[in-house]
Amino acid sequence: MDVLIQTVVSGFLIGGIYALIGLGMTLIMGVMGIINLAHGQLMMVSMYITFVLFHYLSLDPYFSLLVTMPALFVLGILIQRYLLNPLLKVESILPENQVLMTVGIGMVLAEIARFIFSSDYKSVKTGYTSAALYVGEISFNLPMCVAFGIAVLLTIGLFYLLLKTDLGKSVRATAQNKEAALLMGINAERITIFTYGLGSALVAAAGTLLLPIYYLFPDIGGPFTLKAFVITILGGLGSTVGAIVGGVVLGVAESLGATYISMALKDAVGMVIFLLVLIFLPGGLKRLTKV
Amino acid sequence: MKRSQWTLALVVIFFCVFPLVVRSDYYRHVLILALMWVVIGSSWNLLAGYTGQVSFGHAIFFGVGAYTAGLCAHQLGISAWWGMLLGGPVALIVGLIIGWICFRLRGPYFALATIAVGEIFRLVATVWKDLTQGMQGILIIQTFRSKLPYYYLALVIAAACVFVINRVMHSKWGYYFLAIREDQDAAESMGINTWRYKSLSLLISSFFTGLAGAFYMNYMAFIDPHVVFSLHYISIMAILVGIIGGVGTLWGPPVGAFVMIWLQETFRSAVYGLMPKWVSEAHVLSFGILVILVILFLANGLVGDWPKLRRLLGGRKRPSSTSGA
Amino acid sequence: MRKYAFVAWMMLSVCVLASPMAWGQDTIKIGIILPLTGDQAKFGEIEKQSFDLALEEINESGGIRGKKLQFIVEDDTGRPDVGRSAAEKLITKDKVIMLGGGYSSSVTFAVAGVAQQNRMPFLVNTGSDDKITEQGWDYVFRLNPPVSEYPGALESFLTEVVRPKTAAILYENTNFGTSGSKEFKATCDKLGIQVVINEGYEHGGVDFKPILVKVKQANPDLVYMISYLMDASLLMRQSMELRLTPKIFVGGAAGFTLPEFPKNAGKASEKVFSATLWYQTLRYPGAMDYFNKFVKKFNKDTEYHGAEAYAAAYVIADVLKRAKSFSPEDIKEALSKTDMMTVFGPVKFVSYGKKTNQNKLPTYLVQWIDGKLELVWPKEQASKPYVFPIDWTKEWK
Repeated sequence: MDVLIQTVVSGFLIGGIYALIGLGMTLIMGVMGIINLAHGQLMMVSMYITFVLFHYLSLDPYFSLLVTMPALFVLGILIQRYLLNPLLKVESILPENQVLMTVGIGMVLAEIARFIFSSDYKSVKTGYTSAALYVGEISFNLPMCVAFGIAVLLTIGLFYLLLKTDLGKSVRATAQNKEAALLMGINAERITIFTYGLGSALVAAAGTLLLPIYYLFPDIGGPFTLKAFVITILGGLGSTVGAIVGGVVLGVAESLGATYISMALKDAVGMVIFLLVLIFLPGGLKRLTKV
Repeated sequence: MKRSQWTLALVVIFFCVFPLVVRSDYYRHVLILALMWVVIGSSWNLLAGYTGQVSFGHAIFFGVGAYTAGLCAHQLGISAWWGMLLGGPVALIVGLIIGWICFRLRGPYFALATIAVGEIFRLVATVWKDLTQGMQGILIIQTFRSKLPYYYLALVIAAACVFVINRVMHSKWGYYFLAIREDQDAAESMGINTWRYKSLSLLISSFFTGLAGAFYMNYMAFIDPHVVFSLHYISIMAILVGIIGGVGTLWGPPVGAFVMIWLQETFRSAVYGLMPKWVSEAHVLSFGILVILVILFLANGLVGDWPKLRRLLGGRKRPSSTSGA
Repeated sequence: MRKYAFVAWMMLSVCVLASPMAWGQDTIKIGIILPLTGDQAKFGEIEKQSFDLALEEINESGGIRGKKLQFIVEDDTGRPDVGRSAAEKLITKDKVIMLGGGYSSSVTFAVAGVAQQNRMPFLVNTGSDDKITEQGWDYVFRLNPPVSEYPGALESFLTEVVRPKTAAILYENTNFGTSGSKEFKATCDKLGIQVVINEGYEHGGVDFKPILVKVKQANPDLVYMISYLMDASLLMRQSMELRLTPKIFVGGAAGFTLPEFPKNAGKASEKVFSATLWYQTLRYPGAMDYFNKFVKKFNKDTEYHGAEAYAAAYVIADVLKRAKSFSPEDIKEALSKTDMMTVFGPVKFVSYGKKTNQNKLPTYLVQWIDGKLELVWPKEQASKPYVFPIDWTKEWK
């Protein structure tokens, strides 16, 4: 029984980090219809920034959040403005050009990181890295709990932003129907730029919070991008609450798969869920609720 | 048209004669790799560029072909060359299954699904050690010490692949593929059985990719799941080859294959030893930058946007004969 | 017309570049294949630095019969297909007379196949999959023990001191991990230890708690882990978090002996044992010297991978000095007659069991004590006495 509880708890907690990664992507995909295959690499950038700040300025990762989120916001804006928006105007055979552009961007980001930092594994050692709270025999990793809490806070913040503010409403309007939004006087181009920046800032937070409990290397992005997709599809495009739920579901499913099927097939569990949802539940879990 | 026939003849002669003139095994090896990528890239292009189904999972077929050949040698104790006969058909069958799962999805969702299936194949191949030897891989001894047989075999396969794709695209099937690419619903409403033609496109595509995989097993003599089912090194490379060369064109992927391999080797050897060592690590960076530039400025690839490329490179002295191209 | 010119230029440049170029004829060229980039870069780095160190010394003391020795190092990036291409390039383009290096088992295996086929002598110094010297390849020689012999010292330690009844084996799903786990399971069967958990995992995982909690429930006496660096650190850290307390944790070398391990795992690395192939206080001539020289030059510790590389360089030099000529057959002949002492231990290639051209060496057991790696078994050669039993609550405070 203990095994089951601990497994579920671990899955739940890692789900929080996954949710943060997925939050950014669901925004970008839901609002702009952009499949961002560079998502993981954006997270990588924020992790390297966190690493550098920790190493050279001894800045604790939690404080680095205040640096990495704005930094990635700016990076996201630049990418959207100069590399992605222009694609909307280019006549090309494949509409998937935009996806492939993000592939290119991801590669460039990873290689530049490799160039500057080499392929070595980097990590930060903080006092709280392995700290844990214990309820009976069940251990709750402290940094992951904090990350989970921050993920929830950011979700609430995002929710509020999208639902209550003008900016948020413009974002949702653009997501629903770009032409109509334009007609309503919304500067759709600006909004898409803003949204990509926001999505990047969110994944930056995920990276900064992940670094103390994991490690860093240039190729870290790939697997996390995939997980972000699973969560986005699972939770439903554009649904903030869906991202949290999707993240937790993925985390728990992976943990259960690791314990009861095989550790080596852990990632396959996510992929299978992904396929099942894509095929049988296209709207994601969102379809089952009204949020 | 005479001019293009001359060019084609020159190219054919060049490729037939190359390994006899250039004795270095290293360069022969580079060309063999490039020819293999011509096959993979062209196959991908048939499905993605011509039929509009952008697959991010071509490694599935490559790996299946490679393992078919590998298992012939390892489990059945027969020569891996039988894999060349079996690799294509097996990959084709796998293609049918993949199509059945994924074709109900459109556009980007199809792409994502192929990523997922590709990863599942890789993970299963890694874990199912009894069948595939897992990460210990399958090693065989190359049948021929000389590179010449492999070179000519690769050349024949590449030529066959391009030839078949050319014929298909000039047939009725080709029109159906293009129709599906342009607007699947319109095509369906015109009476084209989109499911059937998407599958046909996939079958040809997976057949040749599987064949390339079986060739890889016979030539490189060592495979493991991370090498042949790799998302990064096979699936995405296939896409890059197609994009940079030019999607939806016949010669795009071949040109793309040669450009990519040439770039890769040039960088890896630090421009043949002329530049400092760190340059050798920049080849993936160069791919990324190239992709971005191509998509931004030459969206139809080097071949597809050849007129535009010529203009950009300095055909400025000559006024363009057609205005507003 | 421009199109022709362009095409012609491409063809011409390819042909020109393809023609053999004669570079420095006066050096003796050896090809070394190592992972300089990729996730095994840290190991490749230690080995390359050790090769460089040895090369300097060899050339300063006269080289090989007056000629300078040159190591051409190629990066296999941790992938066997790249390793293969690198080997082919070294053989056909650089025209080396011998190959060395070989870190990852899968890359080494692929390269060995190329070497054998091209009748190019290849001295493996790290790749440890048993299969590499079980193919009857007469051109492939291995300096280091195969992975099945890694837990050699551990065996006697277990039977004499720990006497575990149950064991859990966790391994990374790579050639090294998979073959190592197979061999260790065989060892456990031989010693009458029941293996309660034997699971592989994909490298790069964030959360090992699912598997670790299963291990905790099975409550084995011994936990044996085969990982490269980062997974080793995470496994120990998370074991600590879960309060998984077997009688001992043992690593199967690789990540567990690197100086980065305690840096990353912190107190979770304390009192962890590991198999190892070498230690600087062993009474091999030059062992301590090599260690000190390395620390002085590169400002960091070295360990068994570095020693393997350093010793391999000296073996290569010795072979070339003894070889009747630089033809592959004569070099192979000279290799097979090798009988010398290096900082890594005695080197003599013998055949036993299914193996050919394999050097036979004892292995050792180390333990992290107060953040330093100490040799603890066999007792006669220990630098510090082993710590057992271990009070985990004290260690993990």
